Amino acid sequence: MALIKTGQPRTADAADQASLPRDLDALIGQLGQTDTGIRRQAARQLADFQGSVPALTRQLLRETEPSVREAIFVALTLIGNSAAVESLVTCLRSNDAAIRNEAIEAMKSLPNSVAPIMAGLLSDPDPDVRIFTVNVLESLRHPDVEQWLIDVISRDRHVNVCAAAVDLLGEVGTESAIGPLEALRKRFADVPYIGFASFLALKRIREA
Amino acid sequence: MADAIADITITDDDFLKFREFFYRKTGIHFEASKRYFVDKRLIERIEITGYNNFRNYFTFMRFQPSGEEIQALTNAMTVNETYFFREEYQFKCLVQSMLGEVLKYKKRGETIRIWSIPSSSGEEPYSIALYLSEYWPEIANWDVELVSSDIDTQILNKAREGKYSQRSVQNLPPTLLKKYFKKTASGDFQICDDLRGAVEFTRVNLSDPADTRGYRKFDVIFCRNLLIYFDDLSRKQAAEVIYEALNPGGFICLGHSESMSRITSLFKVRKFRDAIVYQKPEAQ
Amino acid sequence: MNTKRILVVDDAATVRLYHRAILESAGYAVEEAVNGIEAMEKVLGAEQPFDLFLVDINMPKQDGYGFLRDLRQQPIHQVPAVMVSTESQEADREIAWAAGANMYLIKPIKPDVLLTNVHLLLGKGDAA
Repeated sequence: MALIKTGQPRTADAADQASLPRDLDALIGQLGQTDTGIRRQAARQLADFQGSVPALTRQLLRETEPSVREAIFVALTLIGNSAAVESLVTCLRSNDAAIRNEAIEAMKSLPNSVAPIMAGLLSDPDPDVRIFTVNVLESLRHPDVEQWLIDVISRDRHVNVCAAAVDLLGEVGTESAIGPLEALRKRFADVPYIGFASFLALKRIREA
Repeated sequence: MADAIADITITDDDFLKFREFFYRKTGIHFEASKRYFVDKRLIERIEITGYNNFRNYFTFMRFQPSGEEIQALTNAMTVNETYFFREEYQFKCLVQSMLGEVLKYKKRGETIRIWSIPSSSGEEPYSIALYLSEYWPEIANWDVELVSSDIDTQILNKAREGKYSQRSVQNLPPTLLKKYFKKTASGDFQICDDLRGAVEFTRVNLSDPADTRGYRKFDVIFCRNLLIYFDDLSRKQAAEVIYEALNPGGFICLGHSESMSRITSLFKVRKFRDAIVYQKPEAQ
Repeated sequence: MNTKRILVVDDAATVRLYHRAILESAGYAVEEAVNGIEAMEKVLGAEQPFDLFLVDINMPKQDGYGFLRDLRQQPIHQVPAVMVSTESQEADREIAWAAGANMYLIKPIKPDVLLTNVHLLLGKGDAA
C-alpha cells in the first residue's frame, strides 16, 4: 500500500451521470427529488435557464437542506434578472433568518438589477426590510449609494434603520453627509449608539 | 511627479477604514504592526490608479463594478510565496487527526484521495506526499492517491519537473532533504522520482464547471490562499465545488488567514490539536 | 487578576466597537467575531475560555441562534449568552430561550443597560 497514481483524477456519481436529462422540465423535476445531491445539481444547472425562477423560488421556500438552498441562491444570483430579484426581495420578508441573510448576500452581487428597486425598498413599510436593504448597500457598487444613505438618515423614523445607515456612511460618506449626520445626532439625542456612530462617521469623513 | 508621491499619506483613520473593509472582503486582518507594509502598498496602488489621495482611491476601489482594483489590491497585500512545508501544522493535522477520522468511514481496499489546489509549482502536493511517506505509519496499509491542479499550464509543467531552489526547501529537515532530493549541478534540488511519480498534476480552473466535473470522492482537500482572490459570488461557487468534491465526512483546509465563515455555512468547523479545519457533514 | 473575557458577535463594525467601548470601560476584556461561524472558531481556538457572549441575531452565514445552539452542544463549560436584536416580537424571545440564551436585549442598547445586565450575569464580583 502506498502513494499511487491512477491517471484518472475524475470519478462519477449518480448526480453527474450523463444519463440524467438536462432540459428545463426535467431539471425542475429533479429539483423535487429526495436525493440531496440530485436536487443540488439540478439547482446548479437551472442557473442557465432564466425561466426557472418560479420553480427555484418554490423549492427554496420549502427546502430544508442548507447546501441545496445555497445552490438555489447562487442560481438566482447568476440568473439575476428582475424576476430573480423579486424572489430575493420576497426572501427578505421571510421568518427564517438564514433565508433573509442569503438573500441579502445574493442582492449584494447584483448591483445593476437591484439599483432600480432600491429607493422603493428603502421606503418599505417594514423597518426590517429597510434595515436589510441598507445591509445590501454595503457591498453595492453603485454611484447613488451615498445619496440613498443620506436620504435614510434624513427621513427614516426608525432608529435601527438609521443606525445601519450611519455605520455604512462612516465608510462611504463624503462632505455631503456631514450636515445630515449632525442633524441625525440632534434627532436622536437620547440614543447613545447614534451619538457614538455619527461621531465616528463624522470623524472619518472630516479627517479624510 | 516626485512631489505628488510625497504628498500621499495614509492617516490612522484611513488605515482603520481600509483594514475593516479588507477584513470583510478577504478575512485578512492587519495588526497595527503591519502599518508600514499596508501604507506602502496602498500608496503604490493609489499612484498606479492615478488618484492623489486615499479617500478618492477608496471610493473608486469600493464602487468599481468590475472589482478589478480590489483584486489588484488583494494581490498587492498578500505574500505569494510558496515553499515546502508552508503552514506545516496542517500537514501535521492531516496525519495526526484528519486521516484517522477518514479511516473510520473508509472500507478496506478503498483508496484515500487527496486534492491539492492550486498546485502552483508543486511544493504543496509534494509536501503532502513527503509527510505521508514519513509521518503516516498507516501508509503501509492504505493506497493514497494525490491529485494536484492549477489553472496555469506553465506552472504545472514546472511542478511535474520537481526542481526547486534552496529557498523553497529551506524549511525541510536536513534528513528529509537528503533522503528525497538530489542536488543538481546548478545548485537546485531535484525531487526523487518516487515522489514525482506520486502526484497527478491536472489543469483545472476551479471556476469552470466543465473543468471540475468529475472531481469527486476526495477525502481531504487543500485549497490554501486561493479563495481570497475571488469575489463573493465566485467564492461561494468554489465552496460548492469543493463540497461536491468531498466525500461525506471529508475535510477541507484553507490558508491560515482564511475562514469558511465568510463564504458558506455548508461545512462544520472542526478543531484538532494542530489546526482548525472544515468538514463536510457525514452521511446520515 | 481575573479579567472576565467577553466575545462580541455582530456583523456591523460600528456596533462591535460600541459594545467594546462600553465593556472595556468597565474593565472587561473584549474579542470580536463577525458572524456565528467565526465566533465558533474563536471559541474553539481560544487559549482562555470566554465568560460571556454578546450575540447579534441577524448575521450572514450563521445567525445568532444557530451559533448558540452549536455552542450549547460543545463539550466546554457553558457560560451566559446575551442575544441582541432589533426585533422585539415575543416569538423571538421564545426562540432565544429554546436556543439556550440567558438574556435578550433590544438594540440599540444603552451603556448602563448593557453593563447592568452583564454584571448581573457574570455574578457578583468585579470585571477585573
